[in-house]
Amino acid sequence: MGVMILPLEEEEEEEDKKRRNTFSINDNVDLLVEILGRLDGRSLGVAACVCKLWSSVCRKDSVWEALCNRHVAGGGGGPGTRSVVAALGGYRRLYRLCVGPVLDRLAGGPGLAGWAATREEAAHLSLSLSLSLSLFSIDCYERLGGPRQRPASLLFLCKPVNVS
Amino acid sequence: MEGEGDLQLPSLFSFSVLLPERACGEREGMGPYPFGSGTATTGWAAADSAPQCSASEIDGLLAGAGYRVRSSDLLHVAHSLERLESAIGGAPDDHLAFAEAVHYNPSDLTAWVDSILSELSPSLPPPRPPPAAPVVETWPDPTCSPLPYRQHQTAVVASTRQREEEGSAIRLVHLLVSCADAVQRGDSGLAWNIIEEMRVVLTRVNTGVGIGKVAGYFVDALCWRIYSPCSSSSSSSVSVAGSAAEQEILYHHFYEVSPYLKFAHFMANQAILEAFDGYNRVHVIDFNLMHGLQWPALIQALALRAGGPPFLRLTGIGPPSPDGRDALREVGLRLAELARSVRVRFAFRGVAASRIDDVRPWMLQVVPGEAVAVNSVLQLHRLLGDPGDDAAAPIDSVLGWIVGLRPRIVTVVEQEADHNRPAFLDRFTEALFYYSTMFDSLETGRGAARHHHHQQQQAVAEVYLQREICNIVCCEGAARVERHEPLARWRARLGRASLRAVHLGSNAFKQASMLLTLFSGEGYCVEEVDGCLTLGWHNRPLISASAWRADDDVAPPPDIQLFNTSMASTTNNSITISGNDI
Repeated sequence: MGVMILPLEEEEEEEDKKRRNTFSINDNVDLLVEILGRLDGRSLGVAACVCKLWSSVCRKDSVWEALCNRHVAGGGGGPGTRSVVAALGGYRRLYRLCVGPVLDRLAGGPGLAGWAATREEAAHLSLSLSLSLSLFSIDCYERLGGPRQRPASLLFLCKPVNVS
Repeated sequence: MEGEGDLQLPSLFSFSVLLPERACGEREGMGPYPFGSGTATTGWAAADSAPQCSASEIDGLLAGAGYRVRSSDLLHVAHSLERLESAIGGAPDDHLAFAEAVHYNPSDLTAWVDSILSELSPSLPPPRPPPAAPVVETWPDPTCSPLPYRQHQTAVVASTRQREEEGSAIRLVHLLVSCADAVQRGDSGLAWNIIEEMRVVLTRVNTGVGIGKVAGYFVDALCWRIYSPCSSSSSSSVSVAGSAAEQEILYHHFYEVSPYLKFAHFMANQAILEAFDGYNRVHVIDFNLMHGLQWPALIQALALRAGGPPFLRLTGIGPPSPDGRDALREVGLRLAELARSVRVRFAFRGVAASRIDDVRPWMLQVVPGEAVAVNSVLQLHRLLGDPGDDAAAPIDSVLGWIVGLRPRIVTVVEQEADHNRPAFLDRFTEALFYYSTMFDSLETGRGAARHHHHQQQQAVAEVYLQREICNIVCCEGAARVERHEPLARWRARLGRASLRAVHLGSNAFKQASMLLTLFSGEGYCVEEVDGCLTLGWHNRPLISASAWRADDDVAPPPDIQLFNTSMASTTNNSITISGNDI
């Protein structure tokens, strides 16, 4: 009898092993959030194109909040910052309109903004959070003017840098 | 034609012009030779044999000096030497650095000069007409630096055109100054002639960019001055100044396109934020609300303040709206909505007044115990008068009641220029250089602008500046409101009104530098002058931001002036709008 059972157990063990080894990241959304939260802005945009789950994760404001705060020396400001930023339009919008272009500009060109900043850059960039928030608030204010008003105060951030 | 180039031109160069006339048969009646008679005499005597005038003869006079030139070639040699001189003068330096020394035989003058010419450049420009003699004037000479040129061609031919344009540009500036001088002396006939001439020169320069454009504006302004002068009545300046709504639009575009106003707002907000530290009730008085673009950033910064946001009151002063639309109220509503979304208790009040000196302190409804900030962006200069007539100007009374409000901070932003001099010519020249620099700084943005929208904005922003130019050039007396004065004079004036300077601090400086790195165009420069910050273009400061506070030992005015509500002197509408709270 032992001889008859043994192959079955082996098979079950192998199937167990297989089940244990087939691990999908998509089953663990929290883990996914942790991992994707460490990407830079461009990679997040790319990741959002993978599948619906990834796209919804990449739209979470907390991911972008982590990204924005990473580029600030000393953290992202007080606890009230989150609610203020949410009121003005959210971290994702803040990154897209202000922080991202600022980082690109400082790094000397699009595509070069990495997520690891030297301390000097970080000190430089830490000021940019308050500056970015100021610019962001102006943009939000201009949008309050209604659809007829074309908000243009952040257009200067989109212009290519002319260093000739 | 002066001077030799770096090569040793034959010393007969100046003589060559005479040669073609003397090619045949004039050796008998010799006139004086420009290089004197000394050593060459014997040579001539020796060469002066049978005077034959055939074209293929070697020229005897030059042969006496050691050069073999055929008589028929003399004209060609003369022209070639002229071209050689201009080529050497205009050629870039690397052409003269020959890799190896090549020896030519200068005694064969024709071949020598031709080979040098072909060596220098394969295609040389045609011989230039002699340049106009440089005009020496006593006016300051920064024409070299701020005149802007954007030439995209690189060929030598284009550099000739560039030299012509530069020449035209310098000529334009010279003509503008002469015209202003004629206007100052009252000689409108001469002024008109000069304007005609300037219009001709303007057809030869590129009036889309640079000095051509600025000169065009100044020429127009001079025309207006001569032919439709603004009298002292302020109503006549409406045609040039436009309505208040137009002015708001122009201001908004100028704000978008250039960093000057953004810089001003950030510096002022920084100073106000620091001054409000520790206060729970704060009151900001804005002397020119416009669209209220300065205040969202302050509201957001107060929302994030450690210890929570205070109760913010904003009093916005602005011109009355003619068409019944209440512009101030609309701006107040928008600001209130923003404040509500970030949970800052906010109250707004609009004061409509066409001039700041129409405003009385009681209209501002300052509450005892709140921290007051007075914010003036490009407004105080409108209260000045002619320099000799200072006592009649309203500036001192306005400064008096500002100080009477006991403000925690007074932020002053002004243009850094001296456009209030008594003599018209001085004002004109100052304005010419100031606005040339300003337009130059706007244009570098244009080079990178790919959006049609941005180019439109730029054009509108330039109209904003053009209005200032017109006011400075055309108007006199009460109609002239753009009476810019430099920071040093403002310091003295504010000091006399018992205001002490507050240093803006290194944080403000860093913010300003950061703001500028975000703007394209690398010519902007931020400087700190005794605690005040100036923003300029290529080392010329154009706008200054400073912060002041009242001396503690100044006696406060009697309360009746501050809180008397029974007076109503001029047209004023006061509207109070509350956010969540009063």
